[in-house]
This record gives sequence, C-alpha cells and structure tokens, in this order.
Amino acid sequence: MGKILAVVRREFVERVRRKWFWVMALLGPVFFGAIIFLPSLMMRGGGLKDIVVVDGTTKGLGERVTAALDRAVTPDSHRVFHAVRVPAGDRVIDSLTAEVEAKRLEGFLILTDALVDSGRADYQASNVSSFTAIETIERNLTQIVFATRLEREGVNPTLVTRARLPVALGTQKIAGGRATKESAAQSFSLAYFMAIILYTAILIYGINVMSSVLEEKTTRIVEVLVSSLRPFQLMLGKLIGVGAVSIFQFLIWAVSARYLISTRGHLGGGGRGGGDAGQVFQIPHVTLATTAVFVAYFLGGFFLYSAMFAAVGAISSNEQEARQAQQPVSVLLMVSFFAMFAMINDPNSPLAVTLSLIPFSAPIAMPVRWAAGNLPVSEVALSLAILLAAIVAVTWVAARIYRVGILMTGKRPNIKELVRWVRAA
Amino acid sequence: MAAPVLALDRVTKRFAGHTAVDALSLTVPHGVIYGLLGPNGAGKSTTIRMIMNIYVPDEGTVRLFGEGGTGRDHSPRIGYLPEERGLYPKMRVLDVLVFLAEMKGMDRRAARAKALEWLDRLGLADWRLRKVNELSKGMQQKVQFISTLLHEPDLLVMDEAFSGLDPVNAQVLKETVLDLRGRGKTILLSTHIMEQAEKLCDHVCIIARGRMLVDGGLADVKRTHGGRHLLVNFDGGRGDADRIFADPRLVTKSDSSGQYAELELAPGADAQEILKALVSSGARLSRFELAEPSLNKIFIDLVGPEAVTAAAHPEERARG
Repeated sequence: MGKILAVVRREFVERVRRKWFWVMALLGPVFFGAIIFLPSLMMRGGGLKDIVVVDGTTKGLGERVTAALDRAVTPDSHRVFHAVRVPAGDRVIDSLTAEVEAKRLEGFLILTDALVDSGRADYQASNVSSFTAIETIERNLTQIVFATRLEREGVNPTLVTRARLPVALGTQKIAGGRATKESAAQSFSLAYFMAIILYTAILIYGINVMSSVLEEKTTRIVEVLVSSLRPFQLMLGKLIGVGAVSIFQFLIWAVSARYLISTRGHLGGGGRGGGDAGQVFQIPHVTLATTAVFVAYFLGGFFLYSAMFAAVGAISSNEQEARQAQQPVSVLLMVSFFAMFAMINDPNSPLAVTLSLIPFSAPIAMPVRWAAGNLPVSEVALSLAILLAAIVAVTWVAARIYRVGILMTGKRPNIKELVRWVRAA
Repeated sequence: MAAPVLALDRVTKRFAGHTAVDALSLTVPHGVIYGLLGPNGAGKSTTIRMIMNIYVPDEGTVRLFGEGGTGRDHSPRIGYLPEERGLYPKMRVLDVLVFLAEMKGMDRRAARAKALEWLDRLGLADWRLRKVNELSKGMQQKVQFISTLLHEPDLLVMDEAFSGLDPVNAQVLKETVLDLRGRGKTILLSTHIMEQAEKLCDHVCIIARGRMLVDGGLADVKRTHGGRHLLVNFDGGRGDADRIFADPRLVTKSDSSGQYAELELAPGADAQEILKALVSSGARLSRFELAEPSLNKIFIDLVGPEAVTAAAHPEERARG
C-alpha cells in the first residue's frame, strides 16, 4: 500500500512540477474562453463599414434602403454600416470598384426598380463572407421590399410597421417534471462543453499514462520497480496518480472558469457582450447533479481508457511505435465525440441510448445526453454499472498485457501474442 | 551462518522454444562475493531476474535467506542493479533516490537522510537538486549505484556489475563492494570480465548455455581446473617458441600470442626443459613463471573458444 502511494505521489508531484501542466492550466481557460467568445467576435465582424448604395431606382426606394442600412445595428447595438447613396450612372461602378480595390470602401450595393418585383439586388465588396454585413443587408432589403409591396397594394404603412413585430421564442428544458430556467441554448452549450472537455481530458491524460509507462520501459527502470512491487500495483499507482493530476487541473479550470464567467461582460468586448440574446453560446447553469455526472463519467472514462493506454505503452518500445499503437484507442474515443452532435439533437434516439450504454462511448455520450435532455436516474445508474464492470474487465486484461509488455524488448507483439499473454496465468 | 543467503534448486526458464536456464542449482553462502560468470547469452541475466522475481521460473525453486517467499517479498533486504541501467531522466537526483528507496519499503525521511549522506560521500552533494539528465554518465552511474545500496540490503545483486563503468567508478564500486562484504553483507555479481571477477570474488560459478560448468571457491576452482601453469613473456625474439609449445611431451595446452604465452604443462614435464629449449632457440624472455591458471584461462577452457569469441569484449578478443 505504501509503495502504491509512493508511485501515486511521484506521478503527481513530477507532473505538477512540470511547465506544461501550468501551461495547460492557463491555456485551458483561454482555449475554452475562445470557444465562448470567438463566435460572437466573429459575428460582430469588427467595426463600422463604409458602403455606397448605387441607386438606380425611382420613387425613393434607394433613399429608404440607404437610411435603413445606415441605422442598422447588430444584436449588441453596434452600427454596421456607414451608408451613402449615389445615383446610378455611367462609370459609377468602375470608380467604386477602384475605391473598393484601394480599401477606401467596404463595398457597394446596386439597386434597381426590379428589386421590388424580382427581389434581386447585387452587393459587391472586398469581403463577401462577412456574416454580419450580408445578413444585415438581406434582412433590411427583405423588410423594405415586403413593406413596399404591401404599400403598393394600398396597405397603410403604419399597419405594415405594426405587423412586422418579431416573435421571440422562449425555450425551456423540462427536468424533474417541471420547466427549468435553462434555455435550449444553454443545454446545448453545456452538452457541447462537457463533450469537448471530457474528450480532451481523457485523451490527454490517457496519453500521459502511456508516456509514463513508456518512459519506465525505455529507461529500463521498470526492472528495478517490478522487483520491488507487483506490476499491477505499479499500474494502479500510475492511473491514480495521473488521475489525481487531472482532477487538480479541473479544479484550477473550474476556479478560473468561475472568474471568467463572472467577468465575461468585461472581456466580451468592452462591456457589451453580456446580454446578446441571439447568441448560440450561453453560460449554462451547472447543477450539483450535473457536476456529479460529469465527474463520475470523467473518472470512469479516464480509468477505462488509461488502462488501455497503459497497455499500449507497455507493448511499444519507443514513442513512434506508441503513437501508432494508440490510434485504435484514440479512434474509439473520437467516435463517441463525433456522435455527440447527433445526440445533442435528439438525446433519446436509439443511437444516443445505445452509445450511452456501451462503456467505451458512455463516458462522453451519457454526460451529453444528461446535459441535453431529461434523463431518468435509473438509466444513468445502469450505464454507470456497465461502465464499472467494463473498467474491471479492461483493467484486468490491460494489466496482464502490461505485466509481460513492460519487460519485453524488441518487436511489438501481434494480436495472437497478446491473447496468449492475457491467457497465461 | 547456517542458511545460505540464496539457493537455486534446478531452476529452469524457457523462452519461445529455447531454454535460457537449464536446471541450474547453486548456493550462495553468507558474507561472500559470489561471481556468476559466463559469456553473453549464457543465462546470467535470466537467472538474476528469476532471483529478483521479475521472471517466474518454469521449473525449480528460488529460496532467499533460508525462508519462503519471492524476491519481491524480500525486496527490502535486496539491492538490485540491473544489466541495463536507467533512472528517470527528468527527476531530481535526490527525488529519484528517495523514490527508489520507498520502493524498497524505506521511510521517506530516513531515505532522504541516507541519500544525502551517500551523495556527499560520492561527491555529488551539489547535484542533489539537479535533474538526472543534467548529470554526466559517470555521475548517473554513481546515482544508480547509490540507489541499490541506500536501503542497506543484506544481499546485493549486480548484473554485469562493471559494464559501462569508467575506471574511477569501477574503483568506487569495487571498494564499496569489498566494504560491504567486510560488514557481513553478501554480494552476487555477474560479469563476463574475468580479470575483475578474479580480483573480487571469493566464490565463482561459471555457466554457459544455461548450465553450470563449475562452482566453488575461487582457490578450489583454480586448483581443480588448474594443472601446472607456466606464464611466459617474451622480450623481442620468440625463437622457436611455436615448435616447443607444440611438443605434446612438454605442453598439453597453450594460449600464446605475440609477446605473451600461458601454457599448461604436460604431466611429468619439467619446466626447466622448456626454459632451456627456449633460450637455446634464441628466444629472449622477460618473465618465466610457474603459476596458477588465470580465471580467464579456466573460463576459456571450459566454455570453449567459440563462445568466448562471440561474447568477449573487443580488447579481450585481441588478447586471444
């Protein structure tokens, strides 16, 4: 017992002492912060854009469009355009093209009377992939065309304005038989983040276990160790030690995430980021039960995969071999990660239910389903029980491969040899 | 002491069809330096790994300190220096030593104090907080050596004890081993460098192809396998040495090359006759000595020249 503890302590202390641990501890929140803020930053598209409306219309349509674009704001109250109207004429397009080329102008919109009938207009700009710009122009043109058509049919303009009142659909998740305050967007964000963190952490720390096994094997220090404690004790100490490092890392992240969320308003672009109702990513409300599910499945997934990674490290004799040999294990994990998108959409589909029961995909699938939908506790319990049984079985097999593998040198064993190792008493 | 420190009884280990160790029995008495000698591939490392419980013998038993239990059970009383050396390259020297002592069941604080004491003794005190990979090879060897001794084992097992050691460290190792024996500890070392074994060991066991060829006290082995030996050094001319050494009435075995020859006299032959013949054939001699055979000679006679050629270090091969 004392020896296992010494192995645990060594794994923990040596890892936490290294630079990369603190790099991860600091970069983790930056990375997750980027996931939170980047979409809103990208959608904002940065700054006021100068555009020109080339007006080939009659009856004041051009003036109306120009005024609307000039007024248009993003959901977080930024003006999008500084719009100027220019009457259509010879060579106007050419000179405007030159202006865009010279970066003095973002782009120009060409309007003709055909707009109202065919709904067609052209926008030429240096950057036609600016989501905000395109979306703003389309939205405003649609509204103006819509209003103009109705007015042409004799409908009162005031009535048109009133009829255009937008609908905001409020979504609430039902959990435990009642609606929660959590919105669909929040559920989605939560499921998405949990999947990313689980996937990344299980992979990173699993590979940590693998490197640790490999280091002891390549330096041959393992011979001294195995003459003092049983290989299984050594492997167990490693798993617990690296697992403890990961939990410590999570604690650091959790503390910094709290800080980040509490200051999100300031970080998200000068105090305006806080209340953008239209955004996909929202900070979810994380309950105690959700935390428990997350931690349980992280630990389950970590032990399951790390035992496999330990066996992979044991059968490899250098980094290169290990990188190759670990691919099947990583792919197994990756599959459950990518299945997440389907599961968020429909957490109770047969696929999602199956994946959350299979122990190899459950560590990601179950927390995702938990976050996305309303799950009976019995289903979680069943999945955890299966996962636990799988951990015992996989660790048993991995330990047998590990025991023989760490003392082997030379070529990597094939599947047949591995089976023999596992069978050997 | 009544019970031997280590007793192997018909221990056998096979790997994928080939037998690495074949029904090997040996007994290591208390308080000796015991040399396990043999060419590479003789089964020395496999034998040692079975003693250390790294391998489990297919047949036979290993008994330590006259008690039951495996090498792992007794590991606090055993220090082990494996053939292939290695430490955690990114750990601090002191931390590695404390960790490895903990693996031997030592208390952290005691291990730390002991480690500092040893580092000081071997001139590494200033390096205690450096990482292992910042140390020179020679210093790493010392650290590894400390790690096998730190917990004051009763039995020290060293596989290829001298391989890769620079002369300074080889000397440190030798002195420490002799000091340990002086304090009643037992040392089992394997080597294929006979000169070192001859200088250190009280007791030798020569194995080849997994089987024991000779076992006993160094003096006994020399006596029984010796015969009368003649050492000859030439000083320039060899005269008719080759013809004289080939005379079966005088010499039964000769190992001669260049300026040096080791001869085994034929029964009833007179060394003086050889001396007379050499001098009158014009050979110039700087040494002519009746002696015990060297361990190397016994080893070569027993193991066979082909095995030695395959096994020996280049410098030994050059000598013949």
